[in-house]
Amino acid sequence: MVYLTRRIEFSASHLYHNPALSAEENKRIFGKCNNPHGHGHNYTLEVTVAGEPDPVTGMVLDLKELKEILEREITQRMDHRFLNYEVAELQGQIPTCENIARVIWNLLEPKITQGRLHKIRLYEMPDLFAECYRNGANAG
Amino acid sequence: MSDALTIALGRRYRFAASHRLHTSELSEQENWRVYGKCNNPYGHGHNYVVEILVSGTVDSATGMIVNLADLDGFVEREVIEAFDHKSFNEDVHAFREKVPTTENVCIEIFQRLKRFPLAKLERVRIEETSNNAFEYAGEETEDSEANL
Repeated sequence: MVYLTRRIEFSASHLYHNPALSAEENKRIFGKCNNPHGHGHNYTLEVTVAGEPDPVTGMVLDLKELKEILEREITQRMDHRFLNYEVAELQGQIPTCENIARVIWNLLEPKITQGRLHKIRLYEMPDLFAECYRNGANAG
Repeated sequence: MSDALTIALGRRYRFAASHRLHTSELSEQENWRVYGKCNNPYGHGHNYVVEILVSGTVDSATGMIVNLADLDGFVEREVIEAFDHKSFNEDVHAFREKVPTTENVCIEIFQRLKRFPLAKLERVRIEETSNNAFEYAGEETEDSEANL
């Protein structure tokens, strides 16, 4: 098995607010992330695909194809967007790193048909990230 | 493909500490041969980077596995306050007998952080310098031991 990883970056804004909670609770739980006007990050996404190299091409999947999938599914959907308002898949969810990572996983997994999606890691900042993987796959 | 999806939160922390690699089980010459300049009797230091990964259920009300303030507070108390600007050999009880290699520091940090009550610790990774890194994810028997 070979694991290949592609990295992309996108910039987006968001805010954390749960309308089911009081203003005070929102402030207590989410702190400065509760600012109603939002704030932004430079996100870095690492996508790891696992598979056996094709005997003819020597590739698990064509990186060009992966690049196009990421451009279409992630960059066009999230880059320079306000995640709360402009990304349909995040409607009704707090756009935390965990939830964005899960949305990204669900978008990418069915699109990657050569090899299989092994792991994604989404950095919100250099010291904070979320990972998604199927159980037992976190050794890599 | 049918396995459940795990979502984990990763966080990086930093501390600076000194250590000396030396074991009383070996002679002076053997210590020098094994540990080289890390055996310098006065010790030396590093800027350590600790990356931890915790998993759990994402709370639908908050979108979080764990509130960062709770995680940061726990790591600050258990690791940073205990290790930052300290000598592992002199100031950390666990290393009175054990050589403070980064392998052993990794295991020690895992043992301290696995007590975190709000999420499951998946693994600890330490960068001792920008050129070397160590990871520890516990032993497979730890879960079953905990259930005994």
